[in-house]
Amino acid sequence: MAFGRFLLRGLWAKKARSLGLTFAITFAVMTVVTLEVTSSGLEQSAAAVVTIGKADFTVAQKGVNDLLSSSIDRGELARLRAVPGVQRAIGVLVATERINAANPVFIEIGINPADLAAFGVTVVAGHPFAPTATDQVMLGWRAASNLGLHVGSRFHADGTWNTVTGIYSTGNSFGDSAAMFPLPAVQGYNRLPGTVTLAFVKDDPGVSVHTVTARVDHELPELTTIQTASQFGRADLNLVYLRAAVTGSTILAIVIGAVIVGNTMLLSLFERTRELGLLRAVGWTRRRVVGLLVGESLVLAILGAAVGVGLSFAVTALLERLPALVGILHANYTTSAFIRALATAVGMTILGSLYPSVRAALLVPLRALNYD
Amino acid sequence: MVKAYDRGFRALDGIDLRIDQGEFVAVTGPSGCGKSTMLHLIAALDTPTSGAVLVDGKDLRSVHDLSAYRRNYVGLVFQLHNLLPNQPVLANVEVVMFGTHRSAHERRARALDLLARVDLAGREHRLPAQLSGGERQRVAIARALANEPKLLLADEPTGSLDSVSARHVLELFQSFHAEGMTVVLVTHDHGIAAAADRIVEMRDGRIIGGVARTGTAATVPAVGPA
Repeated sequence: MAFGRFLLRGLWAKKARSLGLTFAITFAVMTVVTLEVTSSGLEQSAAAVVTIGKADFTVAQKGVNDLLSSSIDRGELARLRAVPGVQRAIGVLVATERINAANPVFIEIGINPADLAAFGVTVVAGHPFAPTATDQVMLGWRAASNLGLHVGSRFHADGTWNTVTGIYSTGNSFGDSAAMFPLPAVQGYNRLPGTVTLAFVKDDPGVSVHTVTARVDHELPELTTIQTASQFGRADLNLVYLRAAVTGSTILAIVIGAVIVGNTMLLSLFERTRELGLLRAVGWTRRRVVGLLVGESLVLAILGAAVGVGLSFAVTALLERLPALVGILHANYTTSAFIRALATAVGMTILGSLYPSVRAALLVPLRALNYD
Repeated sequence: MVKAYDRGFRALDGIDLRIDQGEFVAVTGPSGCGKSTMLHLIAALDTPTSGAVLVDGKDLRSVHDLSAYRRNYVGLVFQLHNLLPNQPVLANVEVVMFGTHRSAHERRARALDLLARVDLAGREHRLPAQLSGGERQRVAIARALANEPKLLLADEPTGSLDSVSARHVLELFQSFHAEGMTVVLVTHDHGIAAAADRIVEMRDGRIIGGVARTGTAATVPAVGPA
């Protein structure tokens, strides 16, 4: 018989204990993975706005709680355009609006039609809106499809009924699920004249992005540059807080799980004292006894991680269907979520089995054999 | 050797005993006389308060790896079998071979051989609870022999068995002894002890006498307190 089979048989024989431990690990892993994939989904949704325009980098106001609260005025936009190495900077105003129950956070982008091509927008049907129109809109092809609208349809948004003048594609699912309006119309409706939320910057050919972002950061210290979604926290403190909350919850889940694992293992140690004493009496080394206990825990950890990840899929799917979260929460299953799941399971198991294992290793065989 | 516990109680009160290789020694005496304590000291399950256990001339206190000594040199049989209740018979025998040079296949083959030797062929997949007391004791004997120990130590191995099972177990010890193994058997049953080459009588932690049944000069016991 292989050692592994011996170990598995021991686990099977104590089903209640094994199930209890697996449950503790499963619960912790499910919590950690669900938090990770939902927060990552929220982060990705929030950060997606900066990936729409075909830009080398995006500029936003520094240190705002929410990216959509970013405010760049005309003067700042002009200074940005004057930074050496900046070929162009397209200012857009981004706002959200509840369209219906299925679209509680519909993205609306105010942009000058002259900037559409440079922004990476291709009109696939109809034509762009007029620069100063107040009742015209272009829909991303995904949005049009979801809303069942086409060129010539009427669409109520931005406080008025708008005519759909065109359908566009950006090649970005987030952008294609939004609507674009003339910039002055969105600024007027949101009472933000002359203000944009973000500036999408394209560099001069041959100039390194790093050099230009460094200049922008230096010359416009009230603004910040974003190249990747991971830099998004520079302009959106909510995400920083969210990440901190997820990290805190993860640590808490691991600690609670480890306490449960440790408690169960300690009770199991008392229950198995005679057995472990016998193994030591017949020549098992301390290391092998510890290996048996830790090995048993690791098997349950891997099992708990697998079940926990599976349950997290189910829980996340349920959360996505909650009326309050429809359209807002999109689970994002990343490799890091799975690595975190395994690390959580193994971490809490090792942490929890540390003290019981040391106690098991220190058992005096004869005393353990006579233990009642 | 002396083995004293709290409040000055001396389980062993100065004994000096020599056991030669290949001997079959029975240690007898009333309950609490120190028989099992002596066995535990020889098995390195406990340490003497003073004095020493010398095995092949080597003081056990200087043995760095006592686990290896217990695993490879000593075979232990307890009165209450001490089998792992959740593991089948085969695993109960194989368990002492983990950590040895034997592969899983070799461990299994060795365990099956030993189970056949103690008349338990065909019962290897049963759990201890599904065996009789005598059968369980024979599993314990097979386990004790798994690593081919030089020394077989048995603590009241027939104490919980009926007379037929006890006779069967005793015959096994005699056959192992006949093959050259050193056997030390602790028993309060003089009938069982009579099967040994030499009987060592203990009382109150001391050796009070001995009888060499097949004795040569080498097997005559050292008698009395040191």
